[in-house]
Amino acid sequence: MKLKRTLTLAILAGAIAGQSVLADDVVDEIKLLRQQIEALDQKVRVLERKVELDKEASVEKNKTLPLITAGPSGFTISSADTNYVLSLHGLVQVDNRTFFGDKGINGNDSFLLRRARPIFQGTIARDFDFLFVPDFGGSTVQIVDAYINYRYRPWLQVRAGRQKVPVGLEQLQSDAVTSFNERSLVTDLVPNRDIGFQIWGDIAGGVASYAVGVYNGVGDSRNTANFDFEDNREFAGRIFLQPFKKTKLPALQGFGFGIAGSYGESSVTNLIGLPGTTGGSLAGYATDGQQQFFAYNPSSGLVAADGAHWRISPQAYYYYGPLSLLAEYAVSDQHVRKVGTATAADLQNIAWEVTAGWVLTGEDASFAGVTPRRPFDPKNGMWGAWQLVARYAELDVDNKAFPLFSNPASSASAAQSWTVGLNWYLNKNVLFKTSYSHTGFTGGDTSAALTSPAAVTRQPEDVWFTRLQLSF
Amino acid sequence: MKTILKFTALTNLALAAVITIAITGNAQAKDIKLLNVSYDPTRELYQEFNTAFAKYWKGKTGDTVEVKQSHAGSGKQARAVIDGADADVVTLALAYDIDAIADKARLIPADWQKRLPNNSSPYTSTIVFLVRKGNPKGIKDWDDLAKSGVSIITPNPKTSGGARWNYLAAWAWASQKYNGDESKIKEYIAALFKNVPVLDTGARGATTTFVQREIGDVLIAWENEAYLSLKEFGADKFEIVNPSLSILAEPPVTWVDKSVKRHGTADVAKAYLEYLYTPEGQEIAAKNFYRPRLAEVAEKYKSKFAVIKLVTIDSFGGWTKAHATHFAEGGTFDQIYKP
Repeated sequence: MKLKRTLTLAILAGAIAGQSVLADDVVDEIKLLRQQIEALDQKVRVLERKVELDKEASVEKNKTLPLITAGPSGFTISSADTNYVLSLHGLVQVDNRTFFGDKGINGNDSFLLRRARPIFQGTIARDFDFLFVPDFGGSTVQIVDAYINYRYRPWLQVRAGRQKVPVGLEQLQSDAVTSFNERSLVTDLVPNRDIGFQIWGDIAGGVASYAVGVYNGVGDSRNTANFDFEDNREFAGRIFLQPFKKTKLPALQGFGFGIAGSYGESSVTNLIGLPGTTGGSLAGYATDGQQQFFAYNPSSGLVAADGAHWRISPQAYYYYGPLSLLAEYAVSDQHVRKVGTATAADLQNIAWEVTAGWVLTGEDASFAGVTPRRPFDPKNGMWGAWQLVARYAELDVDNKAFPLFSNPASSASAAQSWTVGLNWYLNKNVLFKTSYSHTGFTGGDTSAALTSPAAVTRQPEDVWFTRLQLSF
Repeated sequence: MKTILKFTALTNLALAAVITIAITGNAQAKDIKLLNVSYDPTRELYQEFNTAFAKYWKGKTGDTVEVKQSHAGSGKQARAVIDGADADVVTLALAYDIDAIADKARLIPADWQKRLPNNSSPYTSTIVFLVRKGNPKGIKDWDDLAKSGVSIITPNPKTSGGARWNYLAAWAWASQKYNGDESKIKEYIAALFKNVPVLDTGARGATTTFVQREIGDVLIAWENEAYLSLKEFGADKFEIVNPSLSILAEPPVTWVDKSVKRHGTADVAKAYLEYLYTPEGQEIAAKNFYRPRLAEVAEKYKSKFAVIKLVTIDSFGGWTKAHATHFAEGGTFDQIYKP
């Protein structure tokens, strides 16, 4: 019995001792496993953190990568900080002009590549902008715009180079968004582009805009050559106000008005580039169909600009919803002389125009054009934007021009033009225009000459325009 | 002729009106903006300081000052300013980074450090260890960081000013322990960096790695960053271990001359930095765990900061020599650390 009890106790003690050893092993193993799990947990955390840091580094790196964009506004490469930008835009205009009842004038019915311009625009070192625009349309390749602009502040900028002179309102409108194929008779009296320096700015977000500059000096409706024919300079300036632009009066926000002008002097001693008829700084005037109806073409002698030439042009526009109205009045006062004689006069030529438009599809009209809400996509029933436009313009040549400075038998003393048209904006980039223009003349209809202006002024000008335009 | 004169006079009058509107429109009580490009861990300090300075400046001048902050590793921030970041003031981790701005970008004169008191360092800090609560790995001093099985978090000395202070503090201790034997010092530093699993670009990133991602056993940190971690994440999760020897970190401040001249902010930028030295500025620094310079504020907050034996950058021959020796291309850090 005692032996049995002893044996039982010994077996029990052995079992307990064995359990204890086993428990210690289990505890050690659990401890080891816990350490391994903690080590693995740390490894996973480290890997996750490295991925996180790599992502942060990648985001930081992407902030310095250049941006490339392509879209309706053209193609742009820009540094990450936008201090360096190069944009490529373009303008292509394919026109047709068909003249009616022009009594056999040859060569004016035509398809033409009115403008074909790659437009290079950009920014250097954040504050310096540039624009370079060559034009391959027309008969010769020319540089249309080439300037550098320093942007000190929006209200104070300096521009130097070949640029539009700040006088005519319609002239200042972009070539891609004018209401008609050709600008009105008023642009016959204002300068186009010239080389010079201009200080300009927009104040209070465009509530007031100003520009004042000094240029080589260029005749009415003219572009400058790459150098000046004389030592005198021409000064030009413009102020334009949109007083309600920032108000909560939507009906008035699109109203703007201003005044512009220029002053320069020409010397008759320099005859280079100052022929009496169509060239140089003393130009004739052309119709909507780009046909000359007035020239400084007296029956004998040459006429040259001599002395002061000033212009003044009050101007205004109004845009409200689909309605657009634009009006300007221009006076160009030019002192002229018959070369080599004492015959001289101040000739004051005047022009004015009113243009109205209505976007039939309801989009807003603006000085910068119309953007269709529903771009052309006939499969989905979208037809772009449609706009009706109409214009009336007159140009009156000073009667003192006749006959000493212009031949009244061939040059008209006045022109009156009305034009109606329909513009179809397929999308932001493609536009189709069609318009009909009628211009009547006063005077200049008694010469039998076959050349302009006689051939033009013998009958009214009736011309049908169409244009297909691509711009981006 | 009369018409011409009338036209000219009218145009001149109109232009004069336009220019007057433009000029006078800019002469009223001003809204001033400053950009403070700072190093990584000073976010909380400058958040509080900027509010205090704006209130002071408004009371003094009537002008409203808004200070925009930028934070990242000190070296990275210096490079950003050199590359064109338009800072009005820089408040970086070490003088060498501001010297780089003066030297490479010529935005600041070479003697910038003399323009404000205490070598343009309105507050100081040092380097300590932040460990998990209970200090499970028994970290007491620098030699514990080189032991096997101890995981260290410290940022990259190539980008972080704090990391450079960390590195030099470790080097100073090793130099003392090994009596200047460079091969043994390098061996120690190599062993320390072998225990670093991930290198953040800045001190705040390293704190995030240690505190929020729960990686590592010890964070070598700015003293102020360590105390801030205790305050924000709980003294029940971490504790600070002060090493036997550390380095006196003197983060400097200065205005960027060419920027403030261009912005017209010279007066307010100078006043902004001078305000760091005022009693209020020093109080804000101390509350954010920076060691103040002003004696009376330092005395007030004396009990909050441990007494540690500190070496200065002068024991390394100054920052130019220290950078060339340790952190430049091919320096000791490049020799020791192979990622």
